[in-house]
Amino acid sequence: MQKAIIIFLILTSLHLSAQQIINGTVLNTNNEPLVGANVFLEGTYDGGTTDENGQFSFKTSETGTQTLRVSYISFETFTMVGDVSYMKNLTIKLREDVNALDAVVLSAGTFQAGDNSKVNVLKPLDVVTTASALGDFVGALQTLPGTTTVAEDGRLFVRGGEAEETQIFIDGIRVFTPYTPTTNNTPTRGRYSPFLFDGITFSTGGYSAEFGQALSSVLLLNTIDEPDQDKTDIGIMSLGATLGNTQKWETSSLSVNASYINLAPYNEIFPSRNQWKKPYETASGESVFRKKFDSGLLKLYAAFDATNFELTQEDINEPEGSHFKLKNNNLYFNGSYQGDLSDTWSVFGGLSYTHGNNTLNFTDMLVDDTENDIHAKLKFKKRFSNRFKLYVGAEYLASDFNEGFSDFQTNNTEYGYQDNIVAAFVEADIFLSKKLAFKTGMRSEYSALFKEFTLAPRLSVAYKTSNKSQLSLAYGRFYQNPSSYILKFDQDLKAQNTSHYILNYQYNADRKIFRAEAYFKDYNNLVKYDTDYASFDSTFNNDGYGFAKGIDFFWRDSKSLKNIDYWVSYSFLDTKRDYRNYPSKAQPNFANTHNLSLVGKYWINDWRSQVGFSYAFASGRTYTNPNTSGFLNEKTKSYNNLSLNWAYLISPQKILYASVNNVLGFKNINGYQYANTPNMNGNFDRRTLQPAADQFFFVGFFWTISEDKKSNQLDNL
Amino acid sequence: MQKLAIILVTLVTGLITAQTNYEKGMQKAFELWGNNNSVEASNMFERIANAEPDNWLPPYYAAQINIVNSFGEKDEDKLTAQLKKAQDLINDATAISKNNPEILVLQALLYTAWVAFDGATYGPALSAKVASIYAQAEQIAPNNPRVVYCKAEWGIGGAKYFGQDIAPFCSELERALDLFANFKPETPFSPNWGEDRTRMLLEACRK
Repeated sequence: MQKAIIIFLILTSLHLSAQQIINGTVLNTNNEPLVGANVFLEGTYDGGTTDENGQFSFKTSETGTQTLRVSYISFETFTMVGDVSYMKNLTIKLREDVNALDAVVLSAGTFQAGDNSKVNVLKPLDVVTTASALGDFVGALQTLPGTTTVAEDGRLFVRGGEAEETQIFIDGIRVFTPYTPTTNNTPTRGRYSPFLFDGITFSTGGYSAEFGQALSSVLLLNTIDEPDQDKTDIGIMSLGATLGNTQKWETSSLSVNASYINLAPYNEIFPSRNQWKKPYETASGESVFRKKFDSGLLKLYAAFDATNFELTQEDINEPEGSHFKLKNNNLYFNGSYQGDLSDTWSVFGGLSYTHGNNTLNFTDMLVDDTENDIHAKLKFKKRFSNRFKLYVGAEYLASDFNEGFSDFQTNNTEYGYQDNIVAAFVEADIFLSKKLAFKTGMRSEYSALFKEFTLAPRLSVAYKTSNKSQLSLAYGRFYQNPSSYILKFDQDLKAQNTSHYILNYQYNADRKIFRAEAYFKDYNNLVKYDTDYASFDSTFNNDGYGFAKGIDFFWRDSKSLKNIDYWVSYSFLDTKRDYRNYPSKAQPNFANTHNLSLVGKYWINDWRSQVGFSYAFASGRTYTNPNTSGFLNEKTKSYNNLSLNWAYLISPQKILYASVNNVLGFKNINGYQYANTPNMNGNFDRRTLQPAADQFFFVGFFWTISEDKKSNQLDNL
Repeated sequence: MQKLAIILVTLVTGLITAQTNYEKGMQKAFELWGNNNSVEASNMFERIANAEPDNWLPPYYAAQINIVNSFGEKDEDKLTAQLKKAQDLINDATAISKNNPEILVLQALLYTAWVAFDGATYGPALSAKVASIYAQAEQIAPNNPRVVYCKAEWGIGGAKYFGQDIAPFCSELERALDLFANFKPETPFSPNWGEDRTRMLLEACRK
């Protein structure tokens, strides 16, 4: 009996003495209690949850040295190693996770569209459902502030910069010939179909040291990492047809997309101002192959397109008009690998090759140019902690340009250049707290053509002023070698450069975004020449200079009005330059002072339709009137355009889409062409430069065939 | 003496046949969840997940709690944080058990939570994903009642929107109900939910 009692006592006491209590309080850095935090000993079942006072208490039978962990949403996990017997009355402070959603973002100068970024100004779908964009991602970006409306061109003109000052990258690798060629009065389009991309970052200044050879802006397009399923997309449009197919396997997938556009039938029904001999025709094909590895992703992207057209253009100096014929072939290949090397190291490597060929007949001239470009990049990222990340990388850019020229005086003359650039960059992201962050970097480049070494520092700071708002400052210096139209004639030059100074305020709450950004850009070493057009006889120098300053506003509200999503952009730009053939400092004709854009979308549930509109206003552009004195001394009237679109879901997989550009039929004027010689009264006659057609109609039917019978091409429209 | 002996025997046998920590922990977590204490339940599942790195069930249930709580959540920040956490847990579970139809269903529900929150924004991008996940799950486990009923529920949502007939989905629900009747979970804690909701949906069908 006694023995039994003793055994019993030993047993129970053993049972009891094995239990220890661990308790304490969990607070944030402002000493406020955190409710619902998970506190536990790692690798055991022992733990508890904090109450409304941030207190926790739990029993454990573990002894000796253990790891105590405290985890809570949006905070960094706390870890403490020690003897269990000392884990009493603990006070644990959790630091906020700088990766959390409400943390400060390094975003001065940048607009992002995608599912992954923290501040999305545009959604991927916007590219294709914006009325004026017609499925062109460049068209959608033109509704953002910082861009100027150059209606007859269609490329991106950013903050007083020329179109060449914006560089486009696919998966981090440069695209050398991003636009399809067009005639004078017809805007160009981006070459690449939007449906292969799911992330777009558009930076209008102050961008990362990773990107160079761009004075004004970079546009980063990322291809889709993993498609959802096998499917076939068929599109029949008033302008042509598209066919796409995606195949998905265990760890890899392939998407191919082909399209054919021919404007001949459209021009028959709606005659344009151009006299076509051979209407615009283009055939293109794209493919993306993706392969997943255990800790990395390989992407191969290839695109080919061929365009041709022939027409007689109006010309004030040629009563018969001038003959213009173009054939363009373009091949682009891009391969990249992104992967983890260890928990803290990751690597990115990529390579692109571009081959472009243009054969151009203009009156009696024949120009045949060929361009071959290579871009290779290798980048490493080291994550020391959530608060400190370091990037280092190197890249190589090579361009080989050759042109042949002949006319009735000159037999085929050949000329060209090779432009090779080596660059290295280093950059760090430093988060001092959830409220204050820095990004600082340095880029150095060596140009073999100019035997010139450049150093470009970049810096940006962001500070969170309240829960929903932040203030950012950015500075950067940018270098870019002159374009091929200059380098093909003269290579004894230097890189052009600019400095950006940016002040940005951003308010971001519950699907409402407001941004205001003021900037100043200082241009130096711009190329000047002493003839009307850059040519063999021109004398070139780097004495050009200029400035651009302004303020951009953006407001988007997807919340306040039911089923309505709208955004408004306004940009004010003040810029002057003395470059090219300018006799003095002047406002260039591609840079107008005021640009306003308004985009709205309305989803009508009962009709299963989305209707949208976009309105653009642009103040007048400068031109030179030789009948009065001065250079770029007059301005055209302002530009107005209202576009409407309508997408109707016939069934889950069939969509009917229609759009009308310039519904109200504004007679827009892009500029004037003056006669080379004065008329009998001593005046120079002029011709108004108008778009090929004031209005444009588009109708399409899109059909998706897939296993699940659900997906459609709404996101492609 | 006899009593004492009984006590002793019970104590000792209690110690021997005592439930494993895993069973106790899981039971406790389900109890907390049943008592509407979902934060503590989720924390408990997470702790078990931490202690049992080779078992996909604890992270699965922790994820399920966060997803279920997200339906009806109006605060976008909170929703985002919750679903991000759920996604991390699903990733953990998937790393332990690949091509698991139960986890695939949960992934589809996570995307559905986004679509339910804001159909106009997330519908177009995520609908295709949800559909393809159900297709994949069906291929692996055509007779799993949760795969059948969740896929049918998703189908009903789409069909109603396009004014199409929901009858084929209702007959799928009938089939799911039969499958539930014969469903035997692999372990006492393996997923076995969804029968009540299937009945509820069927009732709506019959109206």
